[in-house]
Amino acid sequence: MGLLSVEGVIAGYSAADEILKGVSLAVEAGEIVAILGPNGAGKSTLLKSIAGLIRPKRGKVSFAGERIDGLAPRQVSALGLAFVPQEQNIFPRLSVLENLEMGGYVDPAGAQRRIPALLDRFPMLAEKRRQAARTLSGGQRQVLAMAMALMVEPKLLLLDEPSAGLSPIAAERLFETIAGINADGIAIVMVEQNALEALSIAKRSYILVDGRNSRSGPSAELAADPEVRRVFLGG
Amino acid sequence: MQEIAQLLINGVVSGTILAVPAIGFTAIYAVLRFPNFAVASHATVGAFAGYVANASLGLPAPAAVLAGFAVAGVVGVASDQLALRPLRPSGALTSAIASVALMIALENVLRFAFGNDLRGFDLPILRDWRFAGLRVGPQQLENLAMAVAAMTALFLFLAFTRTGKAMRAVADNPALADIKGIDPERMARLASFIGMGLAGVGGVLLGLDTSIDPLTGFRAILAIFAAAVVGGLGSIPGAVVGALTVGIAEELSLLAFQPAYRTAVGFLAILIVLMIRPRGLLGERAY
Repeated sequence: MGLLSVEGVIAGYSAADEILKGVSLAVEAGEIVAILGPNGAGKSTLLKSIAGLIRPKRGKVSFAGERIDGLAPRQVSALGLAFVPQEQNIFPRLSVLENLEMGGYVDPAGAQRRIPALLDRFPMLAEKRRQAARTLSGGQRQVLAMAMALMVEPKLLLLDEPSAGLSPIAAERLFETIAGINADGIAIVMVEQNALEALSIAKRSYILVDGRNSRSGPSAELAADPEVRRVFLGG
Repeated sequence: MQEIAQLLINGVVSGTILAVPAIGFTAIYAVLRFPNFAVASHATVGAFAGYVANASLGLPAPAAVLAGFAVAGVVGVASDQLALRPLRPSGALTSAIASVALMIALENVLRFAFGNDLRGFDLPILRDWRFAGLRVGPQQLENLAMAVAAMTALFLFLAFTRTGKAMRAVADNPALADIKGIDPERMARLASFIGMGLAGVGGVLLGLDTSIDPLTGFRAILAIFAAAVVGGLGSIPGAVVGALTVGIAEELSLLAFQPAYRTAVGFLAILIVLMIRPRGLLGERAY
């Protein structure tokens, strides 16, 4: 069994609402998996269902062999599965350093050990550690959000559209950061609108359409598929 | 000129005392996201706890303040869990209305236990200090010092402790705080304890300044609410700035109006500040 397994998940934001209509997904330890699809396909809903923010109505979510559907977000996080939301993913009025401390809230002793290592890894954060997080640029906020997620030494990182709203240069730097995090052996599941970049760094990809699995396979194969190129890569 | 200076001194003292319950009100709002008007009755609970500690048990004023904090804090957590928590899923407006009912209920419990009479703390009678034609009472200064000490303790707690930072994180972004493992219910209980405890401290300080009865907190709620709104609901520095603004404005209004119209200053301050800056003086758009 892989690190993360999602089987036939049906979920939505209200009782009558079914955004996911039976999605399945598998992630192995240490790999990057991209989730692509048009707006409204259910990509972010899938991540929220895995992270415990939405309780699936049906289906199964397992992480490291343990059922996690129905657990609260903080319980999921404590198991080593960290979620970085697309927006509102930092504490804007807390300093950068305090944000990192809150990232490791569930393990205060470990947090004190990991902060110096993360500040070494992300010198920008070290430079701005006393500043309120709201003063950071969009790209810097995404880096801080990922660093907060790394404070619990996760086995798997869920990233919801990390490059949304960033300039091309900032997005490129961010994808380098993501690849660097993965090089440390942390598996990553990434929802991305920037399909070309996502396919280039992900080992495998899933395409969702209207709340259902549409295509999946090695990213290189999907990137070469004429239909995928036409629909998602602009030809 | 001398009269204005005297009113300014009085305004700074009363504004600083007012800041303590206003911080309590705004702290509860920041974490629980509804205006809890029962702060008024918890100020009265604190005032009576301080009165018992001082007048019945013979403890000094600082001990009375601590008693006011502890008792109002514990009553705050209990009343929130029993009366308000079950209503939270119904929204902020329902919780706010329920807090008014809770305020009236607690006030009447106090009336039943202590009666309607005015009660004064057992304090030594001291001569006012005079300098340059201005007068300041030693008790006024002691109250000012205790209010500053309470605010400093809160600042140190919020800035330097892990739990204090977690409380600020919940106020900043509750959904992310939950993801990061911060228990929102535990923080809600803590915010109720600290917020209502500070209301209790405010009640004792008001009692040390004048006298107390079951309506002590009710009479102060408009000024407390005005201070929190003027400063920006949810902002602790804002509550301090708002309280000083309201305190000084109330005193200066005596230059033009009868003392009976002093309470209207709170209303006016809310109207003027919100027309110019709807988020309050130091309020920010939070998540």
